[in-house]
Amino acid sequence: MMTTAESAASARPGTRRRSRRRMRSYLIGWSFILPSLIGFGVLTLYPVLTLFYISFTSWDIFGAAHWIGIANYQRLAGDDLFRTALLNTLYYCALTIPLTLGTSLSLALLLNTKLRGVTFFRTAAFFPYITSIVAIAVVWNLLFSPQYGPVNEVLRVVGIAHPPGWLTAESWAMPAVAIISTWRDMGYYMVLFLAGLQTVPKELHEAARVDGASAFQRFVRVTLPALRPTTFFVIVILTINSFKVFDLILVMTQGGPGTSTLVLSQFIYQVGFTEYHFGYASAASVVLFLLSMITTVVLFSVNRERETR
Amino acid sequence: MKPRRLAAIGVAISAFLLAACSNSGTSTPSGTASEGNQPVTLTLSGWSLSTTPEFQTLADGFHKAHPNVTVQLKEYDATNYDTLLTADLASGAAPDIITMKNVLHVATYVQGGALLEVSSVTLPSGISGASAYVIGGKPYAVPYRLDSWVLFYNKDLFKKAGVADPDGSWTWDDYMNAASRLKAGLKAAGSTAMAAYEHTWQSLVQGFANAQSPDANILDGKYAYLTPYYQRALQLQNEGAQPTFNTATANNLTYETEFGKQQAAMMLMGTWEAASLLAQQSAGTADTFNWGMAPAPQYSAATAGTGSTPVTFGDPTGFAINAKIDPAKLTAAKEFLAYAASQDAAKSLAAIGITPALITPSVVSTFFAVKGMPTDSLSKFAWSTHLTKPENPTSANTATVQNILNSLNTAVMSGSQSIGAAIAAAQSYFSNQVGNA
Repeated sequence: MMTTAESAASARPGTRRRSRRRMRSYLIGWSFILPSLIGFGVLTLYPVLTLFYISFTSWDIFGAAHWIGIANYQRLAGDDLFRTALLNTLYYCALTIPLTLGTSLSLALLLNTKLRGVTFFRTAAFFPYITSIVAIAVVWNLLFSPQYGPVNEVLRVVGIAHPPGWLTAESWAMPAVAIISTWRDMGYYMVLFLAGLQTVPKELHEAARVDGASAFQRFVRVTLPALRPTTFFVIVILTINSFKVFDLILVMTQGGPGTSTLVLSQFIYQVGFTEYHFGYASAASVVLFLLSMITTVVLFSVNRERETR
Repeated sequence: MKPRRLAAIGVAISAFLLAACSNSGTSTPSGTASEGNQPVTLTLSGWSLSTTPEFQTLADGFHKAHPNVTVQLKEYDATNYDTLLTADLASGAAPDIITMKNVLHVATYVQGGALLEVSSVTLPSGISGASAYVIGGKPYAVPYRLDSWVLFYNKDLFKKAGVADPDGSWTWDDYMNAASRLKAGLKAAGSTAMAAYEHTWQSLVQGFANAQSPDANILDGKYAYLTPYYQRALQLQNEGAQPTFNTATANNLTYETEFGKQQAAMMLMGTWEAASLLAQQSAGTADTFNWGMAPAPQYSAATAGTGSTPVTFGDPTGFAINAKIDPAKLTAAKEFLAYAASQDAAKSLAAIGITPALITPSVVSTFFAVKGMPTDSLSKFAWSTHLTKPENPTSANTATVQNILNSLNTAVMSGSQSIGAAIAAAQSYFSNQVGNA
């Protein structure tokens, strides 16, 4: 008994010390992440959770938000303008994602070789990404000017008598925006692909070359499979960014001509910030969020399936 | 650095962030609010204060008449004025007196209880634009400025083209004829100027159509009445009498430069262009030339001519009182509103080239005494005599409808859709958007 009591007495301070030490390291750990956690909670998490709540209300910015259930979502289902914006967003994605993916990968492959002045060209390709969006709008508006723009001048010279109206024509406005978007973003994705290309084992290429594989075969059989993690990452980021495209549309076309370039983000902005129907705009934002989420989940599962194959 | 010290820094940053967040609820009174002759400080929302002198002019004029009241200006970004002000109103951080830059959101503000009813403020007879602020039979703001749309014309270019100046009797057919003759005359005289410049705003076509067409009402969702106005606009750009909508958009043409640099002989614009042109001329960014104002072309001869009252459009700019104002400042705020609508204030505004909501003979004299203003009788008539209908009727649906009509405008003017197809689409969107709202 005595021995037990003594050992219990001597163990207690040790346990207390250990638990105090554990508590201290626990608090130190929390104190490290607390500043950013508070920032994330106040500036991101809380607004996002509030958005979900507001989407079930008729809040118009003033006064209390009145709960209206799924009325906003029912209204969205029958809203022609929302449908137009949704289809335009999908159209934009369908144009931009493959175009940006193709051009940025091609650029990366081109600039991965030991060319003279390759650093300059890599920097030049990245420039559009860091250029002011307003400057991009002004310059591309001039370039695409239907009557006097250099693009159409060149097209006329090569024999196209009636070149497109680009940003001023309903059928061409979205392709024009997609081209500008590709031009702006390809440098950024090129850098990601360049980083990915550095991870492709040289031995594989050498082995393929020894086996007599052509350059195209080496690209398809060696480079592309080795680039899969980078390509997957680029596709996910590109898809999410394409779904939420806003700045380019706002400064280039404001959704026009007509409603030909009205995308979901512009619709949300219009309904929320010019019409003050924040409840309805929040419901549209939730749809955009779900759309991005579902697409990302699908992309992840497709990627996982391929990896396990 | 030791973990404990790092932890202390982390906790301090967290405490600072929390304190910063919790501080937003407290506020410091901006002045001593009181009745009688005790000092009162009113705050007033404005934008681009360095280039928009009207706020300081009114603040100074009111302070002169009421030495115990000081009006402090709170500057907002001009482009995002509505959004920023709305956020401040909703959060209780807005100034005492709210400048209503446009009338699009009056109904939303009133429904949200953000503005005080101001029926006790007596308005001078003959003031225009007051009805824009009436909701449910009660006024919620008073107008102090109202820019109606008129025809600005370059007398030198008219002379060069050998075309007679407008005489105030023009219908739209006369306007079209003049544009054709100007185009031919300017070309023959070797000038590169266009007959007219029509800016890309939807107001340019729709504003006149809404104001002048019989029974037109943008809130009823029927827009066939826009057809003749769009036909004329398209005809002018197709004939080369004015730059096309697409050229104006692609090249970011500004109306100030097109008229100020004598690129166009005629331009329909709000009367703010008069002060803007004078400022540009004195800054050297516009040419110096003879110009004048004429009444906007009319739908029919019935309202045309200097013996009639031409119909045009425009929205007032006004002042409202924040519903969350300190009650002790309320009397002073109402006195400021009454002053802003008065003839004294109208004359001070006219003296800096601004078109007040109250136009009297002495206000007309003051406005046209400004150096550089035209002095002909037609300009005076155009500036002072008109029936100005609201561009944006006061309704909770106006913003939605204007967004729909803006799409219609870009579709038609860019040549992307026929007038009929664009009107049909707008009507469909109207029934879908407003009908289901």
